[in-house]
Amino acid sequence: MARSLLMVSRRAPWSGLGAREALDIVLAGGAYELPVAMLFMDDGVLQLVKGQAPQLLEQKNLGANLQALPLFGIEALFVCGASLAERGLSAEHLALDARIMQASDLAMLFNQYNEVITL
Amino acid sequence: MATLHVVSSPPFTDSRLNSCLRVLGPGDALLLCGEAVQALREPSPMAQTLSALPAGALYALGEDCDARGLEQTLARQVDYTAFVALSLAYDRVNTWL
Amino acid sequence: MKFAIAVFSPPYAPATRRALRFTEAALAAGHEIVRVFFYGEGVHNASANLVVPQDEQNIGAQWQALIQAHALDGVVCIAAALRRGVLNTEEATRWARPAANAVATLELSGLGQLHEAVQGADRLMCFGGD
Repeated sequence: MARSLLMVSRRAPWSGLGAREALDIVLAGGAYELPVAMLFMDDGVLQLVKGQAPQLLEQKNLGANLQALPLFGIEALFVCGASLAERGLSAEHLALDARIMQASDLAMLFNQYNEVITL
Repeated sequence: MATLHVVSSPPFTDSRLNSCLRVLGPGDALLLCGEAVQALREPSPMAQTLSALPAGALYALGEDCDARGLEQTLARQVDYTAFVALSLAYDRVNTWL
Repeated sequence: MKFAIAVFSPPYAPATRRALRFTEAALAAGHEIVRVFFYGEGVHNASANLVVPQDEQNIGAQWQALIQAHALDGVVCIAAALRRGVLNTEEATRWARPAANAVATLELSGLGQLHEAVQGADRLMCFGGD
């Protein structure tokens, strides 16, 4: 049975390569049909905000790649509710259909995966 | 099914330790290394928070404590041999990169 | 037991030295290193051009030496390497760049190699950040 991986993405979208390189790990896993899930936490939740215009910063649209996750077979997408609240965000602001998790549920979420990478 | 969390970032200027403490669950453990060992300096609000962790849940890389002249009693100090053993004693190791 | 080691930090980050000492300890304890995968800023550990003051530790060179001495499978993420200017001869030729600066003992390959290592190991250890 394939070993499962949870990718915890904590970086803001337009601040360096962290957000992109976390997503690349997930997409590669999906391409190999491996059980990979993604949790957006801390500044990572900012990747999911609707209505962003990265072309104004001359950056590629990370949001479009995030939308492609289900096409790569990555459907287990989670967001940390506390991280959203801290940043004045809620479900209605999000462009992606991700399950909102309470902080107290995150340890249990980690326990469901063989490995975790927190970038 | 428990996780060993590893945090190395400076605890007073970086949010990773606080985020980790938010996620830490029953049975999980925390290994502080690098600048993160500064969190063990008592008395400090951060050290106070760490002292509330369950017994046996807190580890620190010994070389990082010694290098910084930190004498602490909150965490069990380990060397690399023990770090390797520790990494296998849990179901996964989550390093806060 | 089998370890997959992933290094996300550059040669001069304490985390990279920590990764090296951990890997040495794992080998000393008789464990197997399935692969060392360099990603993100970790790709700089593959540079053959690292020049470090004589009174400092050249962790990048030590990583290269460890990988060679133990015949470890050292892999560098090609996408991460290219955007950071770490190229082997093949890539330097392909992209018409003036210099190939990656050591030959580390292979430039895709993220699939990280996933393959995770699948083949008992434990994934990531090192990075500070």
